[in-house]
Amino acid sequence: MPPAIETRDLRKEYGDLQALSGLSLTVEEGEFFGLLGPNGAGKTTFINTLVGLVRKSGGEARVFGHDVETDYQQARDAIGLAPQEFNVDRFFPIREVLAHKAGYHGIPQAEAKRRADDVLERVGIYDKRNERFDWLSGGMKRRLLLARALVTEPDLLILDEPTAGVDVQLRHDLWELVTELNEEGTTVLLTTHYIEEAERLCDRVAILDEGRTVTVATPDELKERGTDTIAVRLESPPASVPPLGEYAHETSLADDRLEVRVDDGGSTAPRLLNDLEAAGHEIADLEITRTSLEEIFVDLTDREDRTVTRSSASGREGGEGDGDGEGGGAEDSDGNGKTDDRPPERETEGVA
Amino acid sequence: MFSTGARALFRREILRFVRRPKNTFLPPAITNVLYFAVFGIVLGGRIDRIAGFDYILFILPGLIVLGTISNAFENASFSIFHGRWNEYIHETLTSPLSYLEMVVAYVAASAVRGLIVGAIIAAIGALFTPVTVEHALYLVVTMGVISVLFAGFGIIGGLWARDFDDLTVMNQFILRPLVFFGAVFYSLEMLTPTWRQVSRLNPMVYMVDSVRYGFLGYSDLVPLTSLGVLVGLTAVVLAIDVTLFKRGFGLTD
Repeated sequence: MPPAIETRDLRKEYGDLQALSGLSLTVEEGEFFGLLGPNGAGKTTFINTLVGLVRKSGGEARVFGHDVETDYQQARDAIGLAPQEFNVDRFFPIREVLAHKAGYHGIPQAEAKRRADDVLERVGIYDKRNERFDWLSGGMKRRLLLARALVTEPDLLILDEPTAGVDVQLRHDLWELVTELNEEGTTVLLTTHYIEEAERLCDRVAILDEGRTVTVATPDELKERGTDTIAVRLESPPASVPPLGEYAHETSLADDRLEVRVDDGGSTAPRLLNDLEAAGHEIADLEITRTSLEEIFVDLTDREDRTVTRSSASGREGGEGDGDGEGGGAEDSDGNGKTDDRPPERETEGVA
Repeated sequence: MFSTGARALFRREILRFVRRPKNTFLPPAITNVLYFAVFGIVLGGRIDRIAGFDYILFILPGLIVLGTISNAFENASFSIFHGRWNEYIHETLTSPLSYLEMVVAYVAASAVRGLIVGAIIAAIGALFTPVTVEHALYLVVTMGVISVLFAGFGIIGGLWARDFDDLTVMNQFILRPLVFFGAVFYSLEMLTPTWRQVSRLNPMVYMVDSVRYGFLGYSDLVPLTSLGVLVGLTAVVLAIDVTLFKRGFGLTD
């Protein structure tokens, strides 16, 4: 069986701007794969290339062995996409929107309606089935995007920032649902700014920066690449940092607290304690902090404009639909320069 | 060509305008009641018969053409452009439909709207004057071709437009003047030879003349030649539509 996604030297240029500059990536069938990267790293461009919304400038991209341009029908049939933007048909109640989408994938009308009901129940908005998209709350809109991705029963589910700007409950519901889908055999490609999300859900993650893959590894492997910090509280504050072995990459002393950066905190701690005791210091307390994936991410994509969010520290936890920027307000921030001059939906409906 | 997926898109497109009769069917109905009342009854009685027909009967085919092509064009251009503007056309573009199927579904649905409006105008005309059909088959084929042709033009317009003003400009400042100078309200025989030749450059002339031939059996041009020109033009426009979809013009980055 070919990989779910396979790209080689994938490139996309917008004039002088290189959105993708030789991206090579393989996602195996059945994997839960995460894409991390700062804003502008090329994550959405990469996804849109797979589904046909962006035309590649060079390189190769295949979905389950189907070239995304020459075999575009087979490639697209395998994909269910929940994008960042709220790009949903405004003319119809959401149940019909889903039935139409299933229909475009060749599913007969009666079956399409049944599937629409099923996925609406699965994402928890069945009671809103006769509402139009514009009347849903922000959180419900996110759920609908997921339902639309699922209604075609895709082999590859692509989720582009699915939990940006949603409340904690919804985030956990979505995590549970996509984990379940992955366990049922669906390959999942997830892009996220929430490091915790990638750490919790993904079998492997790729970190992208400036349109290319910086690294691909499991979250644990990535964390092992970082340094740990051993913090020791000494009974008597020393005047200066005691002499330590080469294992100590960096040391700092603040009053009675000594911090030492080492490669592996667990195996190095006994040596550090021996050295300190040999130097006549008495240990009052010790704490080892492992490098977080977030810190690895920051190290690997060290740019001024990076955006990374740890969900526990996020200020967007307050409620459905009140997200900003990349999240619940994605409709207002689509990067196409249409932000301010779009007329309200209902104004446009009467045109023709 | 019409797979389950294409039928689903066609159905969606039909439902979009059928469920909004106040926006789609009522305006042309009211406009044409006014046309028939003013040009046919009020002014028509003071205008000489043209080619042996009452004026109201002479203008009826032209008004049907005007309504049909305007609505076929508007439907296709609006549907494509509104989908682009709100990006829900991505639902279609990310589906396994072929580009040909996409074009066929959009064009067919828009042509159906044009034909429905044409039928409504004919029915309204029949309330004002007895309507005869001299060449039914020719009329049906011609109406089908011109509605497809302008649905095809509408696709190009919807892909090209950058905002809603562009759609208005195309309809009001290009389409409508061409139709008005397409011998809707007069016969080509009433023009000087020079203007008659110039008029032949206007594709609307062939449409109005063909439909008039279908209804009245009267034409200024050779009917089969007109139909041939229209079929050829339609094939070219549809080929352009499919090519634009394939290239992602206005649709993909």
